[in-house]
Amino acid sequence: MTQSRREFLQSSAAIALTVAIARPTLAADESPATPGNAYLRVGADNRVTAVLPTSEMGQGTHTGQAMILGEELGIDPSQIHIEMPLRPAEPYRLFFGQMRSVGSYGIRAWYEPLKKAAAQVRAVLLEAAGERWRVPVSELDATDGQVVHALSGRRVPFGELVEAAAALPLPEDPPMRPAPDTNDVDHTTRRVDVPAKVDGSAVFGTDVDVPGCLHGAVRMSPVYGAEVLSLDADSIEGFPGIEAIVPVPNGVVVVADSWWRAKRAADALSIEFTDTDDATLSSEALSAAMREGLEGDLPPVVRRGDVDAQFQSAVKTVDVIYEVPFLTHICMEPLVCTAHTRENHLELWMPTQGHDIVRMTVERVLGFTNEQMTLHTTYLGGGFGRKTHGEIAEQAILASRAVGAPVKVMWSREDDIQQGYYRPAMMARLRGALDANNRITAMHAQLSGPQMGRTFEHVTVRDNNDFFSVASLIDQPYAEHFAMDHRHLDVPMPLSPWRAVSSSQNGFFMEGFIDEMAAAAGMDPVAFRRAHFEAHPRHLAVLDRVAEMSQWDAPAPDGRHRGVAVVQSYGSAVAQAVTLRMERERPVVEHVAVAIDCGRAIYPDAVEAQMKGSVIEGLAAALRHEVPIADGRAQRSNFHDYSPLRIDEIPDIEVSIVDTGAPLGGVGEPGIPPLAPALTNAIFSATGKRVRVLPVSARRT
Amino acid sequence: MLEFTVNGESVRVEVDPGTPLLWVLRDTLKLNGTKYACGRSLCGACTVHVDGSPVRACVMPIESAANRAVTTIEGLGAEKPHPLQTAWIEANVPQCGYCQSGQIMSAAALLASNPNPSDADIDVAMAGNLCRCGTYDRIRKAIKTAGARIRDDRAAVRDDNRSTVT
Ligand code: FES
Ligand code: FES
Repeated sequence: MTQSRREFLQSSAAIALTVAIARPTLAADESPATPGNAYLRVGADNRVTAVLPTSEMGQGTHTGQAMILGEELGIDPSQIHIEMPLRPAEPYRLFFGQMRSVGSYGIRAWYEPLKKAAAQVRAVLLEAAGERWRVPVSELDATDGQVVHALSGRRVPFGELVEAAAALPLPEDPPMRPAPDTNDVDHTTRRVDVPAKVDGSAVFGTDVDVPGCLHGAVRMSPVYGAEVLSLDADSIEGFPGIEAIVPVPNGVVVVADSWWRAKRAADALSIEFTDTDDATLSSEALSAAMREGLEGDLPPVVRRGDVDAQFQSAVKTVDVIYEVPFLTHICMEPLVCTAHTRENHLELWMPTQGHDIVRMTVERVLGFTNEQMTLHTTYLGGGFGRKTHGEIAEQAILASRAVGAPVKVMWSREDDIQQGYYRPAMMARLRGALDANNRITAMHAQLSGPQMGRTFEHVTVRDNNDFFSVASLIDQPYAEHFAMDHRHLDVPMPLSPWRAVSSSQNGFFMEGFIDEMAAAAGMDPVAFRRAHFEAHPRHLAVLDRVAEMSQWDAPAPDGRHRGVAVVQSYGSAVAQAVTLRMERERPVVEHVAVAIDCGRAIYPDAVEAQMKGSVIEGLAAALRHEVPIADGRAQRSNFHDYSPLRIDEIPDIEVSIVDTGAPLGGVGEPGIPPLAPALTNAIFSATGKRVRVLPVSARRT
Repeated sequence: MLEFTVNGESVRVEVDPGTPLLWVLRDTLKLNGTKYACGRSLCGACTVHVDGSPVRACVMPIESAANRAVTTIEGLGAEKPHPLQTAWIEANVPQCGYCQSGQIMSAAALLASNPNPSDADIDVAMAGNLCRCGTYDRIRKAIKTAGARIRDDRAAVRDDNRSTVT
């Protein structure tokens, strides 16, 4: 494999040289016609360029998509030159009709369009070769960047066919290669973005270096939603390198010739913010408001069957309240955007997941059309939902406009943790009814807390059903008779999707609750779930797999305790079994078994990486993450009080991919929801105590 | 005017006293491989070597680097890829990649003093390098692969020397 790639490299280098000599030089603006479409084109220099719809933030989307293109076209993915479009455009839009890198859609939604795009290009290359050699296309194949006629042993690099292929129409329905049927974790497919990430050459948003670029640091209101009342520019008189203090919503950007200088001045600036009603807000008050919200009748979201009748005839019922806190994303790369605002054109360099959100921000702030914007997408040093928003673009645009030069605005870690865009806090009351056969007959799930969808420009709340609040409750697999309510609570802090969005909290509510139902039924948690999964083969398959991996049917080793959870989200079913021991009343997680059914795994190595990363993130969140609020301000500031797990804190994580023949599912997010309940269910098994409030370290009940 | 060496080249900079080395590397010298993520010595994303020892550049005032030799991720494999960089690529270690310059610099310092680290040695050397994406098991694996190659290379050099002598 390595050998043939090296050979290919050598031969293509030789060919490129021949072409360069044999042809007259093209003028720069006279680019030759190339066969291709919105996603893929092939150059006369043999360069295969992909224009990809989703941003690379660590999930491996560029490699996965390059694999889809490469497999279909007949070229090694590492040989594909990767770009992203310079502004959102129709071919790259999907979610809400927008270009966004969200929803674990990178592979599952783009598999077909990309495969077809590559098949189109291959079809015209084969046709061109067929004409050249006067052989039927059915005798040709494309591999390693060449068209091959096996019968005669002839080969021709794509680049030599470009001119002829460009003249041919792209077929509407090109023949496609059959999909390989394997889910084996093949560790040999190298990530296309990795070489640049080990030598410091990868350009993240923080690393954009535009000539003449100035740097911006922010000073923003510590109380959400407050505005600048007054500031004293003299207070930073004499600070070196300061260019401007630029007002932006909820604060200012201080612009200087280095970020360090800008930051020091921003910190020293004497500034007063408006007083708002939210300046007394506390986590306790928010919890009390959510609890109050659970009283009386709540506004309904969904009603299925006859829940009341089932409760009346129930043999046993369970009625419990769960709660989760605000969470922040702590992307390793803080928010950052470089803007160059000119009179009629805006150029942005940005690690963004929300291309159309940025476009909408630009329209609102500058009144510019999409065509007046050029948006360069850099690598994202983590996204997790946080980099979907436009606030950082707005700050950079305004700062650049004020100083008439490009400005790179970057938040500090403290800004990142304290300025919100949190996963909403939420409280849930769950009631369930069991019949004499220990079957769940009915459930009533009630949410009390912010409906995040209300806070976005494109409102996603219809008939009290908030797209960003209901997943992994509304689609629960357990009860036929089901009711769900949601009472919205207004909160001042901005909210954001956080990896797995509402499934991150609802998975915990539901699977913690199901464990309580199992206990009420006097049944083993795996056996109890199994009995309810007759019509849910994917849930059953992943549950059985983790039961096997964790040797559930054998007694747990001495001093070890296990918990399990199964959640379907983003089109994938994931089960996790946590094995832990208690040390001085604190859980120490030793092993996590993960089984995922994401349909056929396109890039199994990335599936494994995403599952492990999700377990590590889910565990940190469940054990210790929360953003408590006091006096309207976040009570966390940096990694000392909001830390990811360290290398010496992680459990053994074992991942298994299960294929039940289901359609392609997402991978980036569905590993998150089962972790918290599997953990708290294991804690119950160890201590007999239910953890219904996260994080575990909060020790509230 | 302050003088020090970066990746083998001597540089002179004029910056405000107290400016952390990180910002001199990034904003003055445009060496952007070294990252900012916390600014308080809490995460290791800014790890570089100063006279061979791992240092958090975000909290090292530039005066402390005067007349010393700084190596950044850009300089680590400048001549030929460091065994860690190769092992990192082979094991598909990075996810977002933002922490990885710091991870590799910490790991390089570890292997320089101990090319055969145990899991516990790796824990101690690497516990200050946070990876929010959770790439730790692959980091551990890649450090061991690279360590083994370094040991093999040294053994080969020793054998070579011996055969030259005899
Ligand atoms: S940026 Fe220096 S340790 Fe985090
Ligand atoms: S790879 Fe993303 S923080 Fe480590």
